[in-house]
Amino acid sequence: MIVNLRFRRTFLKAGFLSSAVFLMDGCSLFGITTPIDTISVMHKDLFPEARHLGITTNSYMYIVFSHPRISEKDKIFLKNGVKWLNEEALKMYKRTYTKLSSPQRQKVLEYVTQIEWGDSFVYDVMNYMFEAMLGDPVYGGNNHEAGWKWLNFQGGQPRPKKAFL
Amino acid sequence: MYDVCIIGSGAGGSPIAYELANAGFNVVVLEKGENYTESDFNKDEIGVTRRDMFTPPLNEQKHIINEYKADGTFTRYDGEKSGWNFWNGSLVGGSSNLMSGYFHRLKPNDFKLKSVYGEIKGANVVDWPISYEDLEPYYDKVEKVVGVSGKIVKHKQQEPRSSAGFPYPELQTNGATKWFDVACKELNYEFIPTPRAILSQNALGRNGCYYSNFCGSYGCASGAKGSGRAALLQKCNAKIITDAFVYKLESNDKKVTRAYYYTSHGIRHSVQAKIFVLSAQAIESSRLLLNSKNKYFPNGLANSSGELGKNLIFSAGGTGSGRFVFEKLTQKQQEELMQVGLFFNRSLQEWYDYKDKGKKYKGGTVDFLFEHQNLISRVMREVYNENGNLLWGDALKDKLHKRLTTSRMLTFEVFNDWLPTDKCFVGVDEKVKDKYGVHVGVINLYGHPHDLEVGEYLAKKSVKVLEKLGCEEISYDISAAPPPNLVAGGCRFGIDATKSVLDKNCKAHDLDNLYVSDASFMPTGGSVPYTWTIYANSFRIADVIKISLKEKL
Repeated sequence: MIVNLRFRRTFLKAGFLSSAVFLMDGCSLFGITTPIDTISVMHKDLFPEARHLGITTNSYMYIVFSHPRISEKDKIFLKNGVKWLNEEALKMYKRTYTKLSSPQRQKVLEYVTQIEWGDSFVYDVMNYMFEAMLGDPVYGGNNHEAGWKWLNFQGGQPRPKKAFL
Repeated sequence: MYDVCIIGSGAGGSPIAYELANAGFNVVVLEKGENYTESDFNKDEIGVTRRDMFTPPLNEQKHIINEYKADGTFTRYDGEKSGWNFWNGSLVGGSSNLMSGYFHRLKPNDFKLKSVYGEIKGANVVDWPISYEDLEPYYDKVEKVVGVSGKIVKHKQQEPRSSAGFPYPELQTNGATKWFDVACKELNYEFIPTPRAILSQNALGRNGCYYSNFCGSYGCASGAKGSGRAALLQKCNAKIITDAFVYKLESNDKKVTRAYYYTSHGIRHSVQAKIFVLSAQAIESSRLLLNSKNKYFPNGLANSSGELGKNLIFSAGGTGSGRFVFEKLTQKQQEELMQVGLFFNRSLQEWYDYKDKGKKYKGGTVDFLFEHQNLISRVMREVYNENGNLLWGDALKDKLHKRLTTSRMLTFEVFNDWLPTDKCFVGVDEKVKDKYGVHVGVINLYGHPHDLEVGEYLAKKSVKVLEKLGCEEISYDISAAPPPNLVAGGCRFGIDATKSVLDKNCKAHDLDNLYVSDASFMPTGGSVPYTWTIYANSFRIADVIKISLKEKL
């Protein structure tokens, strides 16, 4: 019974990040995306150096979306940001963000970061991306401390034995 | 029945537990948070400082905050919606586990601010009912029992001391500290090594500092930091009950009879004791007393004066910073600058008392320290360019690498008096409740303009050191924003029972067996961080309670 409950909880949490975000073009449904698809591409666009260092940051978003210490308001803002970003992409190029070319995505980012919600949304995405890249490796990012080594950072001792979830 | 029940286990409660339990009395400590040992603490930036693992979630426990303007109007903030957080550490030992341990004593004039500096319009400044001489033996005791390291140097603001030096030598300092000393000499400023509540060597059954690189905001894994838990609670047999949120004190007209608490699952318990000591940190102590009103005390327990919750104070001042850049340094200096773990540990008290344009002012303390090592926070401070636009990609990569590997920020913190006023006080919200179903505290905030004037003066003097050091990007910010971890007042002590909540021994005027031993008692706060004074005063109260209990035997 306990196992089933745990499974159900995990399923629900994971569902929030991979559930469909419906994108409207005026009054009609134009496209569907998921927060994890869009945020994964954003991570590559915002800080490609993480990948060059062998660090994967997008899976950390599952921790973010299931963390009881991150408010529902913040999670919903992230999900709304994904929707709005894609709607701007649709307006500008008639395609969802993940289906645009790299230069087109850069143009979308340049545009939305001049708008208040876009600036806050991209800031939040970067905030969690850098948590993944530069937090303790126990959280699953910062592979072999590659992020720390890149910045000549020694970390503090002792290190956590497990993530605070 | 216990001899003593202590509510809250931080700097205010732990000395009393230590003293009375070691004197053979039956002591119980009720603590809302969990217990930890040295082996539980680590340097997880995400868990400790970004997910706030040691403070309650704001969707379960919050405050309502009213920010006042001079004209009496205010803006209301819901702590949960705004994220404005006044919790400092719910764990055994309280926020003393997470302090940086910058330890300065109050100075004799701090005990008689009104007599020495006169009244200030709009501020409720009063003299203390005790003097520096009354508290000095207890400051001295804290040095020896909790452990304070440092080096006494002669300077014009040095307060009288009964011991010649500190019991533990200075902590090791970064190579750049000597540049600071030279700069101060050239400016004719008297600098002092900052005393710290951190053991510089193994002593008192605890390990010395191992220079972890992460001190303030983090628990200490060696026990070097003089938290109430490491220094005191672990060295006595007081019974500590964790997960115990005290929501009401029951009383008759003379005595507190019982403390009621909830566990996190809402199970109700109670404790009986001969003496109750409240030390839940200033805001929560006033809240508990206000929430404990009864037929004998309809306006809140121990509140016949109407002063309960009033004259809440913080530490006024602000922060400043400047950046050392490699381009201006030799290779040897670059290496010294980037030494991690070692402390900067320098303070200025030159203007603890000063004259400006013929007028005498109470000034304050300035502590200098390197920017905190928290890496994610440092990175996130760099994501905007000088025009306020977000950076990303190669532009951000290049900026981050250069800033974090070839420069380092020196910061300073200004501490000056936050004057007590009518518009800065604690109340309870009649409608909003926390997860326990208990009315939440309302924090009413107002910073007196005088505080900003003094802060500006101190910051401008401090900036000169950064200029002399050749720092770049020098700036400072003096504001009326209250530092949540530097809070006092709400139950001021005094001789007159109609104008104060506590008597000079921090016993409630109205009740025979209730003491308040956190920073609530302070009518004015001095111009230093509060922890040393809280510890010292708590040891003083412990002596009073000891006598009282012996008389009862």
